[in-house]
Amino acid sequence: MNSNPLPSLIAVVDIGTAKTVSLVGQMIGGQARMLSFSERRTEGVVKGVVTDLEKLHALVHNVIHDVERGAGRNVEQVYLSLGGPAAEGERVKGLVMVPARDGKVTQKDFVEAVSSARRQEPAAGRTTILYMRQPTMLDGKPVASPVGMTGRRLEVSFWRVTMEDALVRMRVGMINGMSIRVRDFILASHAAACAVAEDADKHGGVLVVDMGAGTTDWILYYKDHILCAGSLPVGGEHLTNDLSVALRVSRETAEDLKCRFGSGVHREGDLNQTIWKDGDRGLGDQQFNRGAITKVLSLRYQETLDLVRKDVLRHLEGIFPGHNVRLDQHMVPSGVILAGGSANLADACEAVQQALGLTARVGVPRFDTESLRKPEYAGVVGLMRAAITDAPPAARRPRGLWDQIKALFRF
Amino acid sequence: MDRAPAILLLGVGGAGCSMVARLLPVLPGEVGTLFLDTDERSLPAGAQTLQLGRQQTRGMGTGGEVGSGLAAAESEEAAVRRALAGSHVVVLVTGLGGGTGGGATPFVASCAAEAGATVLCFATMPFSHEGERRQREADQAATALATRCHGFVAVHNDLLLQQVPADAPLPDAFAAADAWVGGAIRGIAAAFAPGALVPADPSALRSLFPTPGSPTLCAFGDGEGQGAAMKAARAASDCPLAHGPGAVTKVASLFVHVAGGPELTSTDAFEAVAAVRTKFGGETATVLCARTDASLAGRVEVSVLGASLPVPRTAAKGRRGQKSGKVDDSQAIFPFATDDAVRRGYFGGAPMTIVEGQDIDVPTYIRKAVRLPAAP
Repeated sequence: MNSNPLPSLIAVVDIGTAKTVSLVGQMIGGQARMLSFSERRTEGVVKGVVTDLEKLHALVHNVIHDVERGAGRNVEQVYLSLGGPAAEGERVKGLVMVPARDGKVTQKDFVEAVSSARRQEPAAGRTTILYMRQPTMLDGKPVASPVGMTGRRLEVSFWRVTMEDALVRMRVGMINGMSIRVRDFILASHAAACAVAEDADKHGGVLVVDMGAGTTDWILYYKDHILCAGSLPVGGEHLTNDLSVALRVSRETAEDLKCRFGSGVHREGDLNQTIWKDGDRGLGDQQFNRGAITKVLSLRYQETLDLVRKDVLRHLEGIFPGHNVRLDQHMVPSGVILAGGSANLADACEAVQQALGLTARVGVPRFDTESLRKPEYAGVVGLMRAAITDAPPAARRPRGLWDQIKALFRF
Repeated sequence: MDRAPAILLLGVGGAGCSMVARLLPVLPGEVGTLFLDTDERSLPAGAQTLQLGRQQTRGMGTGGEVGSGLAAAESEEAAVRRALAGSHVVVLVTGLGGGTGGGATPFVASCAAEAGATVLCFATMPFSHEGERRQREADQAATALATRCHGFVAVHNDLLLQQVPADAPLPDAFAAADAWVGGAIRGIAAAFAPGALVPADPSALRSLFPTPGSPTLCAFGDGEGQGAAMKAARAASDCPLAHGPGAVTKVASLFVHVAGGPELTSTDAFEAVAAVRTKFGGETATVLCARTDASLAGRVEVSVLGASLPVPRTAAKGRRGQKSGKVDDSQAIFPFATDDAVRRGYFGGAPMTIVEGQDIDVPTYIRKAVRLPAAP
């Protein structure tokens, strides 16, 4: 049984394709205070997939040492973010017919339904990383807590995230190698949503799109719960790469041009603008047509959003087969919230409006430290928030039966 | 045949034959044409044709087998050599990736070069949707061709598709391809026809391409109305033939042909040539050719052909004990511009990411065939 309370020192590590960040906080009088923060450029990860374990290993160790030095204390356990296409999500359902003659649901029925959902094994070679609760249905109607209510058919469902055994072992092994325990995994897109979406958004329905450097993770909330989540192996690096191929410039130049002149929307007026790479018009300075830059970037950006839309619809079709669910203002009244580094692209919200037909806003994480109030830090800030508030019960793999029930009710 | 034509245009294989057949109506009368294919159905009736490998394929295609394409060509060696004899310039048009195009064309190119002709080759490379194998075989054939022809121009189908709007019907896409390649060939052919104001002769072309395997530049552009000559020169500078993967954009020697209506002034013509030279180089030699043509009223066409000397094969490396004797052919042209690196950039070499049947690491604008605005 694992029932020790949340330790006062909370450490989170978010390994991204471009940067690896770690944050250590402490609960002081029920309030979280940030103690230290570290950010390093990631090496050995391409498109969200680890390609050089040794480099990544060294990097994660350095990042954790940084935060330990900053906090002046040793970290004993960390929360790891988990995202990218390697983490696959699916919906699992448990069902019981309420046995009582009067149809009153008991605690036992509920536990029975939960365990029937959890009895479904993931595919061979995959490990379940986390379960996230979805609405409980009693006779087809959503209920917050079914115990004590009457009905015949009790359905509980979870969003289950699975990952290949070897990948999980690699991550855990990497952290264990520093004598640090992995306290839990938190879904990266859920973490980002914790930082940028309000409860009211989640209640009405909102799509959070976290476009990082290598991957684009999305998560859809509906009626306070996670409806589905997914990830695509496309991200900001693809924007940079497209630009570097189109203009025949180095990646660094392309990255710089993307940040300074890029846009999610191509406008006719851009064609008349000539921009200079360095601006000093000196030796080695180059001029470009701004229209070419916005054209290349807007095509990729809107294509990525379109891929997200198709991925969401594919998941929804799996959850509600034959219902022809549409991703529109009725489904997500709060629209789209953009997070991740690529949310900084100019006119990103307008691009969402064009590609998905939904209102959009750039999600700025709510946090004390000014320097972390940027969309690219939504992941790590949300990870911390999730670790403090939602995550332990929601994301921890419930171990014993009692823990399972507790986990469900604390979500 | 009483006298061999100075310029012989050869369509080899299915793709080559159909392209030459489409060009036939717009070619000047001085150009001889010949169609070579194993598949008798693709040989147009009423034109000079030569069916290859009657024994091997019995009138059918090669089914994409490069080996049988080569065998088919070799079996007709005598006829091929007879047809090529006496021509000063042989222009081969072919599609690589298939059997006849990939197998027979290098053989025909060797025969033409041995017959003393200057051999130019326009080869279309397969669409990226046509699969890895076709792409690989096309690359191999292109390498073989580039060393045997004096000038070799790869026409990338993917890039040509980008030149037409996304919603254009398929025939328009092929018509665009014909316009570029046909325009260039027409320009070269017309340059040697009698009646040019500034004439050129085939030996001038030979001086551009002294040895086989020269890195080749080819471009074509046309313009209309006010400042037509400058518009044509600018269009030639942006020509996709000159900007494909592996294409060279700066050359030592240039051959520029300017054709326009009777109102073409010398100032216009020389301005156009100057613009082309600024873009493409031509410091060693620039052969200029201009003509007026009543049928081009109000229009100007600029065709550019250029070459550099082949990169000297580094013998010094052998002494250091590396790569003795054997030189990597791909290095002779341009070391960075491999197809993979050009199309996928930073992700070149990394495993493909297939989403909805497409490799999404390839830039969106290339996959969607969107034309980008020209650089300032």
